[in-house]
Amino acid sequence: MKGQIALGLLALLALIGVLVVVGLGESNRMLEFTGAYDARQIETGASLFEQSCRPCHGPQGQGIGGVAPALNAPDQFDGSRLAKVGFSGTLPDYVRGVIAAGRPVPSAGTNYPQRMPTWGAEYGGPLRADQVDALVAFVLNWKDRALAGGGAATPAPTGPAVGADITLALPAGDAVRGKTLAEAVLGCAGCHVLAAVGPKWPAEGGEPGIGARAETRFQASGYTGKATSAEQYLFESTVLPNAYVVDGFQPNIMPQNLAERLSAQDTADLIAYMLSLR
Amino acid sequence: MAIFRLNIPVLDQIKQKGLRPALKDKWVDLVTRVTAGLSPNDVRGVLRDDAPGRPNPRLTPHAEGFWLHMKPTYYHRMVDGFYPTFRLGWLSTFFGVFEIVTGVLLMVYYTPSPLVAYENMLNLLGNVPFGQILRDLHRLAAELMVIVVVLHMLRTFITGSYKKPRQFTWATGVVLLGVTMVLSFSGYLLPWDQLSLWAVTIGASMVEAIPPEVVGRSVNLLVRGAPEFGANGLLRFYLLHVVALPLAGIVAFGVHYYKVIHHGHSLPPEAEKVGEDTAKRVPMDSRVYFMPQIMTRELWYVSGLLAILFGAAAFLYHAPALEPHANPLITPLHTTAPWYFLWVQGMLKIGDKVVWGLIVPGLLTGLLLVLPYIEVGPSRRYGDRRIGLSLAALFVAAMAMLSFMGTPNYAVSTSPDQEAVAELLPQTRPGPLRSAPWEDLAFGSYVATAWGAAPNATLQDLLHEFYNVLTNVQSADRTNVAGVMVIEDWQTDLKKVTLRVTWTNVANGSAGEFSQSVYLHRNSNYGEGA
Repeated sequence: MKGQIALGLLALLALIGVLVVVGLGESNRMLEFTGAYDARQIETGASLFEQSCRPCHGPQGQGIGGVAPALNAPDQFDGSRLAKVGFSGTLPDYVRGVIAAGRPVPSAGTNYPQRMPTWGAEYGGPLRADQVDALVAFVLNWKDRALAGGGAATPAPTGPAVGADITLALPAGDAVRGKTLAEAVLGCAGCHVLAAVGPKWPAEGGEPGIGARAETRFQASGYTGKATSAEQYLFESTVLPNAYVVDGFQPNIMPQNLAERLSAQDTADLIAYMLSLR
Repeated sequence: MAIFRLNIPVLDQIKQKGLRPALKDKWVDLVTRVTAGLSPNDVRGVLRDDAPGRPNPRLTPHAEGFWLHMKPTYYHRMVDGFYPTFRLGWLSTFFGVFEIVTGVLLMVYYTPSPLVAYENMLNLLGNVPFGQILRDLHRLAAELMVIVVVLHMLRTFITGSYKKPRQFTWATGVVLLGVTMVLSFSGYLLPWDQLSLWAVTIGASMVEAIPPEVVGRSVNLLVRGAPEFGANGLLRFYLLHVVALPLAGIVAFGVHYYKVIHHGHSLPPEAEKVGEDTAKRVPMDSRVYFMPQIMTRELWYVSGLLAILFGAAAFLYHAPALEPHANPLITPLHTTAPWYFLWVQGMLKIGDKVVWGLIVPGLLTGLLLVLPYIEVGPSRRYGDRRIGLSLAALFVAAMAMLSFMGTPNYAVSTSPDQEAVAELLPQTRPGPLRSAPWEDLAFGSYVATAWGAAPNATLQDLLHEFYNVLTNVQSADRTNVAGVMVIEDWQTDLKKVTLRVTWTNVANGSAGEFSQSVYLHRNSNYGEGA
C-alpha cells in the first residue's frame, strides 16, 4: 500500500511535468498551427480561384483585356488602385469586400462590360466566409511578385464611355463584334431576340428586322426623338431609350445606363450589327 | 436587549477549556464531518493500513456519506485480483468521468453553428493554450472508452457473469454500450470538417432506409434536422452529445452499478458449485475492505492513468488533423464511418440496405439485449459452455471480418485511375505528396515510368509509388497507361502539382485522361499532427 501511495504521488508529479512541458511549448505550437492554417488558406484560395475566378481574371490573375482587371499588378498593392477608386480602408478589406459583395456598378475609371459577381454567402453568393478569406489570402499572396513587376495592369477595355449625344461621330462599326456584344456581353439578345420584352430585332413573319425598321421609324408620324438618320435612331434608342418608346412597349424597361457603359466603338459595332438585321 | 446575537460556540469552548484543547476538538469535529465519520486518528490509521478498531470506524462513511454509500464496504478476495474483472468496468467509469470533465472544458470554446463551429476549432487549436491537448485527450479517452466498454462486455460474457441473477445488469450494460457508441459517434460531427460531415453522413444514412419510405424520410428528418446535415443537424447532434446521451448514460450507469453492488461482483466461474451464487455472502476471512486497500488502489489508478493519458496526448497520440471545412457538395473518396461502426458499413456491402443495414444490426442488438433471458444454461464454467464460447469467438471474428469489409480496401468500385491519383493525393488524409518536403518538389514535368531520372530522392520515391499504382490502371479495357507529374511555380511560396493519368481505351481506340491538381504552400506543414 505504501508502494501504491508512492506510485500515485509519482504519477501526479509526472502529470505536472507533462503539463509543464506542454505549457512551455504552447505559444510556439499555437504560432505554428496558425502559420500552417494561413498557408493552407492560400492553397484553398488557389483552387477556388482556379474554379471561379480564372475564367475572367486569367489563370495567374494577370487579367484578361476587356473582361476583368489584373489582380497581380503593382497598382493593386502599391495603393494606387485603392486611391483611384477612392477606398480608404485596407487592401485586405478592399479585396474581401469586392469578392464578397461583387461589383454591381463599375469602379471609377473602368468600363468593363461584365460586372464582378457576388461571391459571399452573406450577400447571396455561393462562397462561405472562410472561402472568401481563402481567396483574399491567395490574392494578397501575389504582393511580392506584383511589386517586383511580375504582373502588368490591364487597361480598362475600350476608352471613355460614349455618352448620350447622338450627333457624336462614331467610328466605323464591326457588325460581327456587335453581334458578340449583343449576345454574349451586354445581353441584349435576352429581350430583343429570345423573348418579346423589347421589340424583336430579327425579321419575323411579315415584319422586317430592326435595321429596316430603323430606316423609316425616325420619319414616321408620332416619333418623339431627335434622330435624323437610321444610325442616329439606333444610337438614341440605345443611350436614351425613353426618347421614343415603340407602341406596345413600356418605358423604363430598357437599361438606362448604356451611355455610361458603352464605348464609342462598342456603340458603333452594335449599331452596325442592328443595321445588318433587315 | 442585543440587536443581534452571534453564535460562535468555539469561543465559549476556548473560554472553558483553553485555546489548544478547544481548537483540537474543533479540528477533530471538522475532519469527522468532512469524512462522514472518520476522526483524524482513524484517517491516520487508514493511511498507515493499521488494523481497524472494533467496531470498525471505517464502515461509518459508507453508512453516513453519499459518495461512499454507493461503494461496497468490502469485496471478495477472489474478485480483487486482476482476474476476473481486469478492472474493465472501473476503467469504463473512469473514462466516462474523464470525458465529462474534458467535454465541459471543450464546450467553453464551442458554439454549435455551421457558421462558427469550424472557426471555433481553429481558435481552440491555434489560440487557446492547452487547447490541442484538451481535444486530443477528449478524443483519445473516447476511443479507449469504446474499446474498454466492448472488452468489458466480452469479459462478462466469457466468465458467464450475465447469468442469473445478473440478467438485468447485463441488459443495462448493453444500453450503456449503445450510449457509449452513439456518444462517440455524435461527437464526430461537431468539428464540422469534411471528416465529421461524411463519417456521420454515412452512419446516419442507415435511418433513411427504414421502410416504408415515409417512415424512413421522417426519421431521417428527425435525426438530421433537414434532408442533409446543416445547422439543424449540427445542433441536434450537439444536444445529443452534451445533454441527452450523457444524461441517459448517467441514469443507465446508476442502475447498472446499483445492480452490480446489489448482486455482488460475480466470483470466478470455477470458484462456485454449478447453480450457486455466493457473491453476496463473503466469509470474514475473504474480505478485502474498501478502506484502505481498494480506495488507495483506485486513487493511485486515477493518478497513474491521468499521467499516462496526458503523456500519450502530449507525445504520442493526436486527434485526427482538422480537415477542410465541411462541404455537403464534395464527397471525399474513401470516406468511412467511425471504426466501431465499420462492421455496419461492411454489412452494407453484402447486400440490401434494409436487410443488412437495419434488420440484421437491429436483430443483433436485440439479441444482445435479451441474451441472458434466452441463454439460461445453469453452469458458468468454461468447460460446460463450449458451444456458447465458440459462438462468441465466431461472433468476434465475424465482426472483425465485417469491419475489415467496411474499409475502402474491400469491394469499393472506383475507377483505377482515380485510385492511382488518390494513392499520392488521398482525400481523407494528407498522404505522401502533401507530406513530402516542399523544397524537394523541383519545378518540371516528370514521367512516372522514368521515375529513376527525377532530380532527388523525394521525387523518385513519389514517382515510383505513382508508377507502381499505375499498373492497376492497366487492364483488358485500357492500354498505354502513362502517368505524369507536373510541378509549377504558382505564387510566392506556392507550387501547383498536377497528377495526370492517361490511357487508351481498347474498345474504340479513344484516349482517356484523369488529372487532379493540388496547391502546396511552403508552410502548410502537413507532416505534423496539427
